[in-house]
Amino acid sequence: MQHHPLQSNAHQSLESETIACHECDLLIHLPPLAEGHKALCPRCNHVLTQKRRNARDKVFAFAISAIIFLVFSLPFDFLSFESKGNARIVTLAESIESLSLYNFESIAILIFLTTILVPGIFLLGLVYVLISLSVNKMYRHTQKIAKFLFSLLQWNMAEIFLIGILVSFVKIASMAKVNFGLSFFAYVLFIIFLALTVSNLDRFQFWRWVKIHIDQNQPNLSQLKDRGV
Amino acid sequence: MIKFEFDVTASSNGKVINCHVCLTLNSCEHNECRICQSKLHSRNKHSLQNTIALLFTGFLFYIPANVMPIMYTNLLGQKTGNTILGGVITLWQQGSYPIALIIFIASVLVPIGKMIALAWLCYGVATDRFSSYQKHHTLYRLTEFIGRWSMVDVFVVAILVALIQMGNLMSIYPGVAAIAFAGMVIATMLAAMTFDPRLIWDPVNAKSDLNQIKNQK
Repeated sequence: MQHHPLQSNAHQSLESETIACHECDLLIHLPPLAEGHKALCPRCNHVLTQKRRNARDKVFAFAISAIIFLVFSLPFDFLSFESKGNARIVTLAESIESLSLYNFESIAILIFLTTILVPGIFLLGLVYVLISLSVNKMYRHTQKIAKFLFSLLQWNMAEIFLIGILVSFVKIASMAKVNFGLSFFAYVLFIIFLALTVSNLDRFQFWRWVKIHIDQNQPNLSQLKDRGV
Repeated sequence: MIKFEFDVTASSNGKVINCHVCLTLNSCEHNECRICQSKLHSRNKHSLQNTIALLFTGFLFYIPANVMPIMYTNLLGQKTGNTILGGVITLWQQGSYPIALIIFIASVLVPIGKMIALAWLCYGVATDRFSSYQKHHTLYRLTEFIGRWSMVDVFVVAILVALIQMGNLMSIYPGVAAIAFAGMVIATMLAAMTFDPRLIWDPVNAKSDLNQIKNQK
């Protein structure tokens, strides 16, 4: 078996696999899952993994769409405001940047990071990893990117920004006319596709794709270190 | 439904350790994960100390966030400061009850509830006083999930400042509380992230007995 690392790995994936619950550390023999199956930790009910139909293709397609809509949400009008003959039109960047007029750059940077940069880098990183998996080449940074992808996700606040916009819309709707621009609708679509990407992306399955990929490209690496498990 | 067989936990087994990044089981002899080369550790290091320190930071931010004005309104040259609670009361009086409730829940109830919940979890883990591990784990999940949503208020201020700029006729500009509030949200989010939910289960893990786990179910 030692001469056929690929075969032995393929064989392993058909049998039950021992994993530890990420949240309560219980050791579980995970049986092979069929498409549409979801595995819960028997003790703490943490969703261990969920195997969705065509998950990889869906994640890739949704991530690409989200990136496109994020790009489209940048150049056009985001929101416009009209009251007593005064009008003001802002783009997405301007709506964040205005805070720096009053020396609140720190908050402006925080909002820029959590609503544009972090989700943007997450999506680009995800697409990079998925492309490197599908052309079956180990690009230089694939593994590094895969490692920080999921920690980025915790800092994404794009959907909260949208709620914030809607709340402020209601707040000023009585005293002025607020219109949503083209960029705003692009941003809403970006949030929808980002949510679809995240809901189809399962951390366990994602790492399984990466593991198979690493095994194929660097069979020695995981073989050498794999002892005693 | 798939039936699981389960026996002991990774920590009590003494032979394996779970990678926090790629969720692979590794032999305890290794310091690095065999798949992703991340550093292996069985529990978050100094989880409780870090969580408590960050909670305290969050609480310190919470006071100015509520006392100081989060934004100023300049209406025909008259400058007034608005605190978070003041804003909620104004909205309530204007009759926009749902928005008043959203702001009240997101920026007053959630932060304080989250800090109490995390403090309670730290206390419970430190003194081993939990009667139901499952319920406390659910409480932890709730605090982790809900934390980001407090940022709504900061975003509202940003949008209002961006849109309403008509000089002395009517302008809105941000107040110090916005920074304090953002600091509070970040500190409590970090506190929830550093808290290790496995610590809740460690009293059960320590027993590491198949029958005991089965009886509990």
